[in-house]
Amino acid sequence: MPASILYHCTCTSVPSSSVIGAPPAPFTAPPPQHPLHAFGFHPLPTLYFCEECDDVSGYYCPNCLFEVPSASVRAEKNRCARNCFLCPQCSNTLSIVSSDPPLNPDNRHPPVINSVGDPPFFLYCNYCRWDSAEAGITFDKPTGLALQLQKTEDSSPDTLEFDRLKEHFEPLIRISHVQPTAITAHTIQTHSHSALSAINAAASSALARDVPGLRRKRVDPNAAKDEYGAYYRSRIDSISGGGEVHAEVEWLKDMAQEEFLLGDVSRLEQRWVGSWVQSLKSIDLKPLRIPLHSKQTKRCPKCRHILIKPEQKSQSTRYKIKLMAANYLPSIDVLLVPPLTAQPSATLSRATGGKAKQSGAAADDANAGQALQQGKTYAFQLAFTNPLYEPIQVRMTVQRPQSKQGKRAPFAVSLPTSSFSISAFAEAWEYDDEEDAEINDDDIEDMLAGRGTDGSLAARDSGKKGASNSTVGVLERKANVTKVGGEVVIGRESDGNVQFNVLVSYTYRADDPTEETGSSAAPKTAVSGGGENKTFSFYIVVDLGTISPAS
Amino acid sequence: MNFAQPVYYPKADYIETDTGNKVSRRATIAGPQNIILGGKTIISSTAIIRGDLRRTGPGHAVVISLGKYCLISEGCILRPPYKTYRGNFNYYPMKIGDHVHIGANTVVEAAMIGNYVEIGKNCIIGKFTMIKDCAKIADNTVIPPNTVVPALVLFSGSPGQFVENLPESTQELFESQTKQYYNRFQPLEG
Ligand SMILES: [Zn+2]
Ligand SMILES: [Zn+2]
Ligand SMILES: [Zn+2]
Ligand SMILES: [Zn+2]
Repeated sequence: MPASILYHCTCTSVPSSSVIGAPPAPFTAPPPQHPLHAFGFHPLPTLYFCEECDDVSGYYCPNCLFEVPSASVRAEKNRCARNCFLCPQCSNTLSIVSSDPPLNPDNRHPPVINSVGDPPFFLYCNYCRWDSAEAGITFDKPTGLALQLQKTEDSSPDTLEFDRLKEHFEPLIRISHVQPTAITAHTIQTHSHSALSAINAAASSALARDVPGLRRKRVDPNAAKDEYGAYYRSRIDSISGGGEVHAEVEWLKDMAQEEFLLGDVSRLEQRWVGSWVQSLKSIDLKPLRIPLHSKQTKRCPKCRHILIKPEQKSQSTRYKIKLMAANYLPSIDVLLVPPLTAQPSATLSRATGGKAKQSGAAADDANAGQALQQGKTYAFQLAFTNPLYEPIQVRMTVQRPQSKQGKRAPFAVSLPTSSFSISAFAEAWEYDDEEDAEINDDDIEDMLAGRGTDGSLAARDSGKKGASNSTVGVLERKANVTKVGGEVVIGRESDGNVQFNVLVSYTYRADDPTEETGSSAAPKTAVSGGGENKTFSFYIVVDLGTISPAS
Repeated sequence: MNFAQPVYYPKADYIETDTGNKVSRRATIAGPQNIILGGKTIISSTAIIRGDLRRTGPGHAVVISLGKYCLISEGCILRPPYKTYRGNFNYYPMKIGDHVHIGANTVVEAAMIGNYVEIGKNCIIGKFTMIKDCAKIADNTVIPPNTVVPALVLFSGSPGQFVENLPESTQELFESQTKQYYNRFQPLEG
């Protein structure tokens, strides 16, 4: 495991919660041993500037990309009502094919995917070669397939049962919701009691049908017969009773006698993901309409401020509102510096001969796994990248590593305690990566004048190029990136992970205090001539790797 | 990413174009006159790009177009999709957007790949597949022909299926990763 950094999301703060950006006092991040720790830290790109809470702002079919009006989503049961189906065997998207040209007799070539041609049309899976004609499903025309299949779905016993249950219970739910003030405690009790009895009766009956041995047992004789009676009778009419179940059992018994293929029996997930119960026989499985996807608006759970508001168009990746933590908080990378005895890492990753090692964008093997040994001292570096258009001043506070009872702390961390500056983000940095840009620290110092930046002078001095890797302090400043060095001393009898929390506070001057920054948190402000200094704090967890016993 | 090391290649092994494309001399570029590279795009050694498989008929035709900041890794094959329509066999063009990374040994026969798309290694992207912006295909995924992969989702498996939605920051994240990768890809003299 390479060294890594995760950011704390304040929804798991202990003891009280708050949003990112709140003053540091009332919250702390759970320490590495805390049960909440595993859930409280995330990669920066996945975090919002407040906290999320989802709200659907639009539905679309992930295959035909049709934007489904919210009004029809419910009636269409959250699935595509056009021509999009999942293969019942492999869940691949099915294609509509015509009977022209006729299928090759040797069946080695797949049918031509083409919806213009002669009827009948059928659905074909170009992954596992399932075809709907074999399951007895063909179409007269290649459009409106869902509508043509609607009958099968609507007449399935499970759909009928569900519809009638809904019909029966919906008025009851409406009564208990619509006029809560007009209903006395007594009527609520009566209603909820009769509703409960009806549910019990329905459940017993369903159970008795599916498990015939349970029939007539433990059925409450007083179960609201009047209310349930009508529903029950209609349901009996709609299904074939236990006959279907018996037929399935017989089929399975027969299989045990003869040779059979495992694929003949439907898998559990094939029967359960549908909106109705599918056949036990794999060959009888019906294609399923593709479930819709949704685009979501996200709000802060505290202030209801909208954090994410996507554009309406289903395939647009633009947002009307997008408040990601990555746009406000400095991003932090970590490097565990290899011991001096090892080869410098730059030569390690060099290409040899004609084979350039290419790993693509996502891979970052600079921090290839390295074991930490007991009793040794290691240097590490943290690189802070400032996403803001203003320079920031950063201060770090290490949360002391917790020790097991009566024992010494497993390791000790040293990080610069004084604050240091990071230059503003400027578009130009992006394009001139290789150019060395000297930054005028004075600008930053002047601007933040009046604040205690006791370490900034030292930082400026050590900010020059070529500083040693092993010192604790600011090592390098380049564009909107500042690198600082730290040190960790591993105890002689320690084990486990070298993982510690760091509280990061950063201050910047907001030119216009009334400007919308997207933050809901009340920042700590200190008025200092002309502008306003805002301070935000957040926790990160630094993971440097696992301690291995000294050899 | 600030600690990511440069990726070195022997300088003589790559041809660099005016617009910053870097094409390996050991890649197979068939029908180069039918291929467009958008600039700052890397074509690795042993990759095969079939610009020669073009629609029948006279004149020029763009068979495969790639945007800027793309990476076609070792052993990748880009081959335009084909079908027989009304009795005529034909190839159809393949369009790939900006900031698209395709992992090693992946075979692509897609009709369209959007911007900011990451495709893993050892994948098969079937004929006429459409991959929308900011989508991601995990390593070893098989996307059957004619599949639509919507924007901002992760697909994985065989056949490739929806796994999860990707964060709203995917575009910026992948843009900066692909730019940094290009900048890290450095020649080594001699
Ligand atoms: Zn959270
Ligand atoms: Zn659809
Ligand atoms: Zn299938
Ligand atoms: Zn809020």
